[in-house]
Amino acid sequence: MKKVLSLAAVALVTFSACKKDPEPEVTPTPVTEDLNRDIINAFADNVAQDIYNSLAAKTTTLYNNVLLLSTETTDENLNTCKQNWRDARIVWENSEAFLFGPVATENIDPRIDTWPVNFVDLDGQLASSAEFTEEYISGLADELKGFHPIEYLLFGQNGDKVASELTVREKEYLTALANNLKQLTGDLAEGWNPANAGNYTAIFTAPGASNVNYEDRTAVFEELAGAMAGICDEVANGKIKEPFELQDAALEESPFALNSKTDFLNNINGVELAYQGRFTVDGVGLEDLVRKHNLALDGEIKLRITNAQASLNAITVPFGQAIFTQQNQVQTAINSINALKDVLEGDLLQFIAIYGNN
Amino acid sequence: MTKHKVVLSTSLVVFVIAVFSACQKPEEWDAENLNEWYSGGKQTVFNRGVGAFSSIFPEIIPLNDFRHEVGDLAFEAKFVTSGILNPGLGPIYNSVSCTSCHINDGRGTPIGPGTNIISLLFRLSIPGTNEHGGPLAVPGFGGQLQHNAIFGYQPEARVNISYTEVEGQYPDGSVYSLRHPIYTFTDAYTPMPAGTMISPRIAPPVFGLGLIEAISESTILEFADENDVDGNGISGKANYVWDMVRHRPALGRFGWKANQPNLLQQTAAAYNEDMGITNFIFPFDNSHGQPQGSDNIHGMEVSDSLVHSVTMYIQTLAVPARRSATAENVVLGKKIFNEMGCASCHRPMVKTAVNVAFPEVSNQIIFPYSDFLLHDMGDALADNRPDFLANGNEWRTPALWGIGLTSTVNGHSNFLHDGRARTLEEAILWHGGEAFQAKERFVNLSSTERSALLAFLRSL
Repeated sequence: MKKVLSLAAVALVTFSACKKDPEPEVTPTPVTEDLNRDIINAFADNVAQDIYNSLAAKTTTLYNNVLLLSTETTDENLNTCKQNWRDARIVWENSEAFLFGPVATENIDPRIDTWPVNFVDLDGQLASSAEFTEEYISGLADELKGFHPIEYLLFGQNGDKVASELTVREKEYLTALANNLKQLTGDLAEGWNPANAGNYTAIFTAPGASNVNYEDRTAVFEELAGAMAGICDEVANGKIKEPFELQDAALEESPFALNSKTDFLNNINGVELAYQGRFTVDGVGLEDLVRKHNLALDGEIKLRITNAQASLNAITVPFGQAIFTQQNQVQTAINSINALKDVLEGDLLQFIAIYGNN
Repeated sequence: MTKHKVVLSTSLVVFVIAVFSACQKPEEWDAENLNEWYSGGKQTVFNRGVGAFSSIFPEIIPLNDFRHEVGDLAFEAKFVTSGILNPGLGPIYNSVSCTSCHINDGRGTPIGPGTNIISLLFRLSIPGTNEHGGPLAVPGFGGQLQHNAIFGYQPEARVNISYTEVEGQYPDGSVYSLRHPIYTFTDAYTPMPAGTMISPRIAPPVFGLGLIEAISESTILEFADENDVDGNGISGKANYVWDMVRHRPALGRFGWKANQPNLLQQTAAAYNEDMGITNFIFPFDNSHGQPQGSDNIHGMEVSDSLVHSVTMYIQTLAVPARRSATAENVVLGKKIFNEMGCASCHRPMVKTAVNVAFPEVSNQIIFPYSDFLLHDMGDALADNRPDFLANGNEWRTPALWGIGLTSTVNGHSNFLHDGRARTLEEAILWHGGEAFQAKERFVNLSSTERSALLAFLRSL
């Protein structure tokens, strides 16, 4: 993203650089002619587009290696697919920090990430003679496609599946599911692609009276902050709390790959990425707006992000075990993530109400 | 699946308004207009993003907050055929969860030709009425078409949608086109009886319903004018339906034809008809007595308390505030809305009853823009299928609050009972019957006035 610095802004930065910095660990806020506009553009470019492009690339890799696995069914190839699944999962969970736009409105989220798997019907599909075309898979219920049936087929019920256990039908179904996941994540990337008509980048980056989604910049920032708070709510009070309170590991979301805690952490990491406006490229982000006007709030948000991440890292066994054996750590994680949610939907939204339309 | 539940407290709302006020003319903030920003009274949230329909009441007692949270998780829960987690789906069904149809707690879309329908279902009946005056179930199919089935069972039928475009022209020369839907059922598991009547119904938004439920029956009946005694061409008729818990007739409030008396029964019916989940109000699978039979799960597939919790979840979803309510063209649009007679049915304001047992919804001035009564909407919109006292031409006036956020929340602007209208403008142009004169006034507006009216609707 191009940034235009006015002479005055350059002078300001230069002047600032001469002053004593009481917070040396905080990098100076980039000053542009229109920081709010730049943050919105940078989010679309550096976060949404980059993350969805990365997700599409990783699911393509998964599909290609599943194809290879179907012809060369070795443990090495199976392990590669398992790692590909984990890699794609990281980016998907990051992207859940901004569940608006095509992922929400085009009904893509449930088609990618529905839990639980309908095992009975999945077994039925495997036992049938149905041809697993893309059209056939698209017509199946959400519980029979997406990340989790793929996870089940790759990792097995106990997470220890070996290549020799894969049946011909499982490989056919797995290939079709991986192709479907590739298609849907590709749709997500294309949905934000500025080259496409009606793309969401064009909607997100052009708030105004004629924009049916965002009548002003404040609405854009509200959407972003709301989504960040929303995923914190989902992680703390849904994904973690439900299996924990009911003491039921069957409610865990990614049990076969033992990936649940990693999922949670990557959700919170996604909040951090969205706040900072970065993925592979580190441009301006919401943090720069907050830091410009309220350094204490920026510090508080970052502290709570760090605490949430640390609390999840303090869980040292798979989540399905932790709900029984590390209950203090699990409760601390819930509290820490809720604390992050509170500051995002409280102080941050109040801040946005004041400074969003600058 | 993730949803947002961001609530701006009343204090924040006041703060935001104060900030905005500083930038605007103070005379725009008279008490009357200020109230209109709060579409849901004290249960209004200033959320205009994708989660605008998903916020919990900002004022709620801790117990109901807890029940809302339990219901929220249940609303998202995906049912499966059998097993440990959420068993009982089907054997025939329309969707696997509440959120599958009520995406983001919002409005469904019919999807285009050749794609799978997600949030549109079809009510079925044959001529006659059942013992409670309701629609007569179709032998072999029941009262609703289930277009999906668990493995080993057949869907009752597949649904195909096609559209015919019919162009029209405003007096000022502007052209428009309305798409007329054609529904065909294929691959029926058994021949559908001749004379079966069908009624397409799109999933409506589910926020604000607790406030609608809190309006007293007498208040709604005050709006009724079944015989058009005042001679304004608008009647307004109450539907009376069967309350399955109290075993007596009750005022119909919910559903496109006001065929459900309360949110508890609506919730239980949706569990049963849409997902095939048995519960204490509907203890038999939706395929009970049909050739394919039920699934093999005995007992209630969802507990009483969970049905009540989901009901509480729906009852306590807050209403998003107005946007741009004082903008010049919005104010003009509101004036036109009133002058055209739209407000005769889409009544702006109503007060909820005093309810000491449920103070969250008690005694609130709200702005749903509905009279919650049945009106003849003309032949073009007719489903020609009676539903209790609603005849084949009658539909319940839908609430308009939040309508301007549909695109943000659901990514489309499809409206009316089957989503045939692709824009608010098309939705107006479909109005017939009692609303024909109002529609004609709209057609004869200048393009600037039409634009102002639409701006007003988008601000709701």
